[in-house]
Amino acid sequence: MSTIDIASLDAFRERARSWLKANIPAAEAPLDGPESRDFVLDWQKRQFEGGWAGLIWPAEYGGRALSVAEQIVWFEEYAAAHAPSTHSAAFVGLNHAGPTLIACGTEEQKAFHLPKILSGEAIWCQGFSEPGSGSDLASLRTTGRIEGDTLVIDGQKIWSSYADIADYQELLVRTDPQAARHAGITWVICPMNLPGITVRPIRTMAGPTKYCEVFYDGVRLPLADAVVGGINNGWKTAMATLGFERGTASLALQISLIQKVETLARDCADPMLAPRIADLRADAAALKAMSYSFALASEKGTPGPEGSLIRLYFAELAKRVSEAAIDLYGIGSPKLTGDHGWAFEYLDAFSETIAGGTAEIQRNIIGERVLGLPRTRQ
Amino acid sequence: MDFEPNDNQTAILDGLEQLITSLRIETPKEGETQVFSEALDAELATSGYLDIAREEDFTVLDAALVVERIARLPVTAEVTNSMIVAPLFPAGEVDRPLALVQGSPLAPARFLPHAKSLLVDRGDDLLLVKVDPARVEPVESLFAYPYGKLDSVDGLETRSLGAAMLAPLRRRWRLGMAVEAAGLMQSALETVLEHVKSRHQFGRPLGSFQAVQHRLAMASATAHAVRWLAFRAAWSDAEEDCAIAATYVQDSIVTFCYDLHQFCGAMGLTLEFPLHFWTYRLKAMLGELGGGSKQARAASTLTWSAAA
Repeated sequence: MSTIDIASLDAFRERARSWLKANIPAAEAPLDGPESRDFVLDWQKRQFEGGWAGLIWPAEYGGRALSVAEQIVWFEEYAAAHAPSTHSAAFVGLNHAGPTLIACGTEEQKAFHLPKILSGEAIWCQGFSEPGSGSDLASLRTTGRIEGDTLVIDGQKIWSSYADIADYQELLVRTDPQAARHAGITWVICPMNLPGITVRPIRTMAGPTKYCEVFYDGVRLPLADAVVGGINNGWKTAMATLGFERGTASLALQISLIQKVETLARDCADPMLAPRIADLRADAAALKAMSYSFALASEKGTPGPEGSLIRLYFAELAKRVSEAAIDLYGIGSPKLTGDHGWAFEYLDAFSETIAGGTAEIQRNIIGERVLGLPRTRQ
Repeated sequence: MDFEPNDNQTAILDGLEQLITSLRIETPKEGETQVFSEALDAELATSGYLDIAREEDFTVLDAALVVERIARLPVTAEVTNSMIVAPLFPAGEVDRPLALVQGSPLAPARFLPHAKSLLVDRGDDLLLVKVDPARVEPVESLFAYPYGKLDSVDGLETRSLGAAMLAPLRRRWRLGMAVEAAGLMQSALETVLEHVKSRHQFGRPLGSFQAVQHRLAMASATAHAVRWLAFRAAWSDAEEDCAIAATYVQDSIVTFCYDLHQFCGAMGLTLEFPLHFWTYRLKAMLGELGGGSKQARAASTLTWSAAA
């Protein structure tokens, strides 16, 4: 275990707190559509210019090359200052597409894309799930046909959050239909403005139209720019992406949730609810212990399957916290209504046990890859 | 194992099925979250179903059967308060549609945008407010029912119905919630069962995985338990039974909705999949009458005070 210079972290915390106080946008973040894109890019640009973007990304691509401990401090101050939620259109680029490029991309891909993500010039979305391929991701059917130095894509993706306002997509396509399920897949960078791409937003039960269906009709990509991690090696690249998505991507959200539990505890004057809130505080403390140690341990590489333990724990705790908030404040409370109220959080929290692999898939990963139990027969 | 209706109840339910069929109720259009059907509300009122509990030879249980059946529809009407709560009062005293609220008369209430009467549980008195629709402000809500609140009670006709009516009101309020939840849970569960039978992943139906089967089996046990508790409470119309049924319902909703949505994947989180027509309404009940912990306290108080 490495040592952490507490005095230096305290000074860093003070700088973060001071900058956030002076720079947090006054307006609430729009939840979807072009307004959401403008807001997210503007806020990202402001963080980048202030030196607060890509804290643990390499310096050569615009990052700050700081420690995970400093990243944690930044997220703690970010949440305490009620800065715009990190669960935004910037999430994919910053938390799993960017890290995947750092881990598996070519120098040209890193040099071109990573600075754009950090400086608020590009939004990324994910193109993994298909109508027939959800939990069973390896059954995906969208094809990538190689014609010389071009990749021609046909098919359909779904649950591609913010695809309607994104610039690029991390896209999985089947490049070798004859190969075994996991062997013929390629991870590609797909610009969303190419001819042949159609995006249909889907409204969620929480309100926004952030999920999208994406159709590809003869979309042509230059092969060299597009492929990340090698042709037909996309499953391995996708596992890196999912490792980030399930492992460290939600760290800021986890820290925010932990702080929200403290707010509920402060607001709770009902003796009948107090034991429940006390239980949630204990759960939040456990989440904090797990997520901090996992993030610190993942400092030097791609997170391992143990991330599923935290992903599952966080997802189910997020539901319990929003449920308790509804009981605590009551349906008529202003704390429930609005784009960022607890009613939205409650409904939106349902996606936490589905996105990035359902809770059942996380349990399978824990059973098979963490505990070493025999694989399920399929 | 199921409820066997008597001849009266069979006649009521058969007639209700015909009425529902004649209305050709369709699943609301994609994207709609407020599912109040004025046509259903009006038809139930004019056809006399809403007055069943007032008629000789008919019981609260008969009314409960109607409420449970209507709750299974993807649309709603103000049925529960009219059939379960309003008959506590002499005919003509409390006009329907009826809304209920605890604490302040200005608190948001289900159905208030359509209501003619509002009953307010003030804690030490039961207040009747004659509602002027022009004085109702709609309240934003993601919970499917129409919500509204009064801008003030100044100038509105109000009358005390007496503190003695508070206990009966709460009893029937709890009962109504339990009965309505029974219908909502049944339809929600059927929707999900259909999905997991037809949706294939890893080359087989989702419903063939034990992880899915086990949780849906528990969801089914919950739906059955709610149904039986609700009908038992309607049969006895006893305070303790009603409080226990409401406790069970409010304590079950969270896990029940989680299990059901979980197995519909991302599709189940959209307004394009019909599950939300029932689960939105279930979620609306979570906080009513102070939530499950308050009903549990009421049930405990009733049990222990009876034993003392």
